[in-house]
Amino acid sequence: MSTEVKEALKQPVAPRSSELDAPLQSKRMLVNLGPSHPAMHGTARAVVELEGENIASCKLDIGFLHRGFEKSCENVTWTQCFPYTDRLNYVSSIMNNVGFALAVEKLCKLEVPERAQYLRTITSEIHRICDHLTLVGALGLELGAMTVFLYAIEGRDLLWDRLTELCGARLTSNYARIGGVSRDAPEGWLEKTSATLDRVVLLRDEIDALLTRNRIFVDRTRKVGTVSRADALDLGFTGPCLRASGEPYDLRKAAPYLVYDRLDFDIPVGSNGDTFDRYLMRIEEMKQSDKMIRQCFRDMAPGELVVRDFRYVLPPKPEVYGTIEGVMAHFKLIMEGIQVPAGEAYGYTEAANGELGFYLVSDGSGRPYKLGLRAPGWPMLAALPVILQGALLSDLVPVFDSINMIGGEVEQ
Amino acid sequence: MKRFVGMSLTLAALVGVLVLLGAGFYWVAAGLGYACNGLAIWLGWNPPGTWSPFAFHVGITLGNLLTLMMVVLMISGSLLTVAERKWSALLQNRIGANRITVGGNPLGGIPYLLADALKMLTKERAAPDVRTRLLFELAPVLAFAPVFCLFAIVPVGPPIDLGAFFAGAAGAGRTVALQVASIDAGLLYLFAIASLSVYGTSLAGWASNNKLALLGGVRASSQMISYEVSMGLSLVGTMMAYRTLRLEEMVVAQGAPVLGGFPALGLLLQPIGFLVFFTSGFAETKRAPFDLPEGESEIVGYFIEYSGMKFGMMFLAEFLEIAVFAGVITAVFLGGWHPLVVDTGWLRAHVTPLWFGAIGAGAFLVKMIVLMWLQLVIRWLLPRFRYDQVQKLCWKILLPASLVNIFVTGAAILIDPSLQLLAWIGLATIIVIGLLVATTGRAAPAHDAGPAHGGHGAAAAAGH
Repeated sequence: MSTEVKEALKQPVAPRSSELDAPLQSKRMLVNLGPSHPAMHGTARAVVELEGENIASCKLDIGFLHRGFEKSCENVTWTQCFPYTDRLNYVSSIMNNVGFALAVEKLCKLEVPERAQYLRTITSEIHRICDHLTLVGALGLELGAMTVFLYAIEGRDLLWDRLTELCGARLTSNYARIGGVSRDAPEGWLEKTSATLDRVVLLRDEIDALLTRNRIFVDRTRKVGTVSRADALDLGFTGPCLRASGEPYDLRKAAPYLVYDRLDFDIPVGSNGDTFDRYLMRIEEMKQSDKMIRQCFRDMAPGELVVRDFRYVLPPKPEVYGTIEGVMAHFKLIMEGIQVPAGEAYGYTEAANGELGFYLVSDGSGRPYKLGLRAPGWPMLAALPVILQGALLSDLVPVFDSINMIGGEVEQ
Repeated sequence: MKRFVGMSLTLAALVGVLVLLGAGFYWVAAGLGYACNGLAIWLGWNPPGTWSPFAFHVGITLGNLLTLMMVVLMISGSLLTVAERKWSALLQNRIGANRITVGGNPLGGIPYLLADALKMLTKERAAPDVRTRLLFELAPVLAFAPVFCLFAIVPVGPPIDLGAFFAGAAGAGRTVALQVASIDAGLLYLFAIASLSVYGTSLAGWASNNKLALLGGVRASSQMISYEVSMGLSLVGTMMAYRTLRLEEMVVAQGAPVLGGFPALGLLLQPIGFLVFFTSGFAETKRAPFDLPEGESEIVGYFIEYSGMKFGMMFLAEFLEIAVFAGVITAVFLGGWHPLVVDTGWLRAHVTPLWFGAIGAGAFLVKMIVLMWLQLVIRWLLPRFRYDQVQKLCWKILLPASLVNIFVTGAAILIDPSLQLLAWIGLATIIVIGLLVATTGRAAPAHDAGPAHGGHGAAAAAGH
């Protein structure tokens, strides 16, 4: 045997790993997803550069739902801003109402009656359940499990029916007012809502049973779109997405508002920061919200719905028709709007997707001088290209769903 | 209780209708055979009063083409479009399609069939200018035709002697069977034709000149080609056990008793083969959880540029695949036309040959319907796989499982050619799988790499 052959025999038979790793010559493909695309609810547009099925880069293009929320608010009275806030996160509009009302009340230094606070908490938490049901349902739907979506939507619709009885609208429910809430719960509403919540619990558990231990669902969401705790903090995450990454930060505990300091509830915290954890956060928060609403029902006492201060709240009709002060207050409020004291304030609440902040500047006239919105979904959406780097195209869908981008609030 | 009685009566009536349908099919086949014989005599090819096997064969095949392909396959394919709406509605606490009424009665959504057909046929045919014209037009045909051809080898009813229909025709070799073509190659034909359907899908994706469609086409071709491997290997065990490639002979062999009188069903002898074949076949139909080529929420699908009836054909091809797939499983794994609730030998001895055949055909159709229902339930319950997970399931779970299955089956047959040992192994496997599903089904998703039985097959069993 020649030395040459002996040398050759010493060489490994299989190709060296460096040869196996040699890049294949492939062209990148630019695919445009959205704004009209089944997965891009809320009309976002993602321009995805694909290498095979892997996402090489992703560029987001938003603004298809831009309505000029901040500017519009400068042109109307403080009270007239409320319908605009309904349309921010249209899945949980009362939370926006409440957030805005709390910010204005901060500026006015108003203390809202207790019953109104309870009602605000109840409606906020109902809407949190609605928001989370929508997310979980959409996540299921876009992963191909349409049945989950219909269960979730059934639960959401039942809750919307209850809110309709409370404030007259299904989607853009407009309930909070500066100084209180618009009206009291109708007779028998609490019992009816309790029954509805019981049904929602059943549906939620059904969804839980269908998804949480479903091998395919777990495979599709575990270790997909992972955001570490440090990254989540750096990127400005709040809400369930931040908590999924392991940071136990919730404004309802960190800076309690309304009656949250009196309620017994837990803040679920994840550990992996992946899509599955973000999903679990939602399921768990629905359970906590359910608990909170029932506590509110138990603790709530009859009482005033709005502050008795005619500088901020319309006087009752007998006083308008019967007293000169009532007529004057009514006239001033309708014609000039609430005279919010000059100054600035930042009101922040824990909305369904994170911190909802309203930064208000008042010059003492009846209209906002400047209004700034911190949309909860915005930092998560902005982080999407970072999260999706190197992921598969199919991962875009669950990740996009789990951060719950709502066009109304992100694009204002 | 009243509801239960009503449901039972409805189901019994359905079975009865299917049996009558089977009898009708036999008469059509035999009648056409008789007519062809008469024609041959009239043309002077055969002397009067003779029974020409060839003429009968032609007539019976024609009859089967009409009844099995046109009636069974087309009707069940189009009824499945309605069934999908109704059954998914039942699953989702909805009522389902009931807006089109005939005299105030929604008729269970059946009128939607006509409305759908009308819509598909009258829709504008929009097609991209930059398409590859020939392939674009060809793709729906290529998707549709192979599925159709597949049903040719499915034996719906047992062979009956012609003497059951015409007194003078009794004799050896002259039988009527509800099967379009009896081919020696049998299962090989099945694999060959099944692998053709990938062309329709991938060509549709390619010829559309659309990036999303292209992605869909590529996904479809990789998925379907991968699963063909495990699909083929999963049936090797049954081929060895029944020592034949012909489906009709497999069905006959499944009537033989093992384990003290229990029929030697493919499901009993080859549970792993069944699970692998079911999963692979499901992947071949490209429906959820294997609907990556469509992936409506990601890439919308390989048929994104198709409209009108061209889309309709691809759409219908999917439903036909469900029906054909159910038929093949019934024949290979569920005992085909053996009624199972009564002993086949006893039945053969106690009813006339025609009714024996009709009951067999009815049993076959019932099993087919159950399998189609199972497929729809799975489709509406499970989320979609990801591209890499589909490949992993195929190459890392299904393929090794089917290879192990082949070796175990081969060894068992070598040791005990009477299939008793194989049946015992199969029974043990079913029990083990059942126990595993029962114990791990509710456990937290901790384990990462599933055992061979895992993945979709186990999920399907659990769902059932």
